[in-house]
Amino acid sequence: MDLTPNDEQEALRFATIAWLEGNMPLAEARNRAPTLWSGMKEMGWLEMTRPEMGLDHATEALIFAELGRFLAPVAALSTAVAARWTGLLDKVAVALRGHVLDTVGTTSALGLFDGKAGLIEFAAESATHGLDLSTLQVRLDEMPSPSLIDEPLAALHFRLLAAAYGVGCAEAAGDMATEYAKVREQFGKPIGSFQAIKHICADMAVRSQVARSQLYYAACALDAGDADTAFYVAAAKRLADQAALENGRANIQVHGGIGMTDEAQPHLPLKRAHLLQFVAPVETADLL
Amino acid sequence: MDIGFSAEEQRFREECRDWLHSNVPDERRPLDAADALEFDKAWQRRLFDAGWAGINWPAEYGGRGFSIVQQVIWLEEYAKAKAPWIGANFVGVNHGGPTLIANATDEQKAFHLPRILKAEAIWCQGFSEPGAGSDLAGIKTRGRVEGNELVVNGSKIWTSFAHVADYQELVLRTEEGSERHSGLSWVICDMHAPGITVRPIRKMSGMTEFCEVFYDDVRIPIENVVGGLGNGWTVAMSTLSFERGTGFIADQVKQAQEVEDLIETATGNGMIGDNRIAEELAQLRAEVAAARAMTYRNISEVEKRGQPGPEASVIRVFTSELGRRIETMGVRLMGEEMLDFRYGDDDQVQDYLRGFASTIAGGSSQIQRNIIGERMLGLPRSR
Repeated sequence: MDLTPNDEQEALRFATIAWLEGNMPLAEARNRAPTLWSGMKEMGWLEMTRPEMGLDHATEALIFAELGRFLAPVAALSTAVAARWTGLLDKVAVALRGHVLDTVGTTSALGLFDGKAGLIEFAAESATHGLDLSTLQVRLDEMPSPSLIDEPLAALHFRLLAAAYGVGCAEAAGDMATEYAKVREQFGKPIGSFQAIKHICADMAVRSQVARSQLYYAACALDAGDADTAFYVAAAKRLADQAALENGRANIQVHGGIGMTDEAQPHLPLKRAHLLQFVAPVETADLL
Repeated sequence: MDIGFSAEEQRFREECRDWLHSNVPDERRPLDAADALEFDKAWQRRLFDAGWAGINWPAEYGGRGFSIVQQVIWLEEYAKAKAPWIGANFVGVNHGGPTLIANATDEQKAFHLPRILKAEAIWCQGFSEPGAGSDLAGIKTRGRVEGNELVVNGSKIWTSFAHVADYQELVLRTEEGSERHSGLSWVICDMHAPGITVRPIRKMSGMTEFCEVFYDDVRIPIENVVGGLGNGWTVAMSTLSFERGTGFIADQVKQAQEVEDLIETATGNGMIGDNRIAEELAQLRAEVAAARAMTYRNISEVEKRGQPGPEASVIRVFTSELGRRIETMGVRLMGEEMLDFRYGDDDQVQDYLRGFASTIAGGSSQIQRNIIGERMLGLPRSR
């Protein structure tokens, strides 16, 4: 039993962070370079899930949490899952119930249909920006019937990686609030010295730690073929969604007036959190 | 990363399970104080005789010297077997004893440690005072040095098991005019010494688990000071850090069982058909799983780094507040039946009322949030 990353995983994680800081800063989330996708492909994240790569789900969870922290394109989730279970190596968008997300350069999308992973084909010409300013989306009045992936683990895999994105998103909001609380001064002191603010930051850290811990456990359960894996993964996704949403809102509160503006960054993780909750969503019945 | 246990660890788990299966008493811990004390002593003695006492104590002091993973396994099986809470032995085994191991002289260790493990001596903790709760450094109880004795005056409060204790780990001010963390000493106080008055405090659950203790010219030999005069704060803090890490395991197994029981109850009485109830039960089930994951993760960190970090406060805040919500759900599912509670009843209402202690005792949730903010996140100090 060991729920901490080993040295190799830590090295991979730090290399990931270094690349993301240079090539995918969160501040530019709404204006990503067109070459970003090929850069991510070159870094190997979109295909790290292929069996021949020999990486476990725990390692994937670590890396995808970092991608999520920088609000990486959401099609990385569906593309990585498709690469693992269908062998497709091209970009695959994310299918929700009535939307397809991150559609540039692809006409297929992966989503959950009655709890099973499946692929649909869609027409991409009408893509627009919606609530999450970092993601182009298409609205579908009618969802085409999917070709289902004949492997129950594919759905759990998709949900696990989406949970990892949520954990990263929650941590991004928490870190942003804590750093701001250290430098913003009122009444002659950094606002982080006031317990009213400090406890909001502490609660954000608690939510992030809870969600990250459950993510690790769920990833290990999936690796080990544990009998309760579906529950552990559902719990991870539920807690990650909640942490991302609640931290997203709290981050804006800590920032005060500037937090409400379009110019500042706090709205970016909140809007991403609202989007992620619809990716491989968890129902009450999944947890009981 | 992995959540599995080795074949050797699995065998150890079997060993724990087997012993617990044939030794855990059928009867519940009595509510009456005198009966409870006898029950606690008998159970501790049984653990000792079979070699299960002091699982986190080094072997040279009569403990088992288990690895941290073995402690986890033992505590998980202990809770699954619904083995009794160690009750009156709690302070000696989990606080007083470990502090002596870390700080006391060989003579003090040789005298006290075996008595604690065999339940021949019951210990209580004398830290909090009416004016020193969350602000523990505000301690005012004085010990004046007179020859080779300390003459003690003052009072302590929230002292669990003081009414049945033989010894107390007493933190008091031995340097006149000293302030805050300096000038304090950690002393072994004989609870049968003249000048000590114990007044039990009845809690809102009807239980009298803790007391007020008054000291009126109580004379304590100066050799009972542990870790040197004036070093009390450091000695007291070594106690607190000793029991972090694995301390949450048993609570979590218990919480997991409670949530499964609540789901069964709600399914039985049909209340699970209420979406708000179903939603909250689902939420509790997910959070209990996460609490275990977080504890496993913390234990893995401690094994690698050797010391628990401020992350322990995260687990503390999360599990104690989670426990409160589980207990609240327990009485919610009772409906009006809750109103029939009387002092002495041992049911969901009792658990609910007792549960308030979990977010107050040993550093309130608000103090824990300060620790998270300041020591983990690096925010500036509030005080």
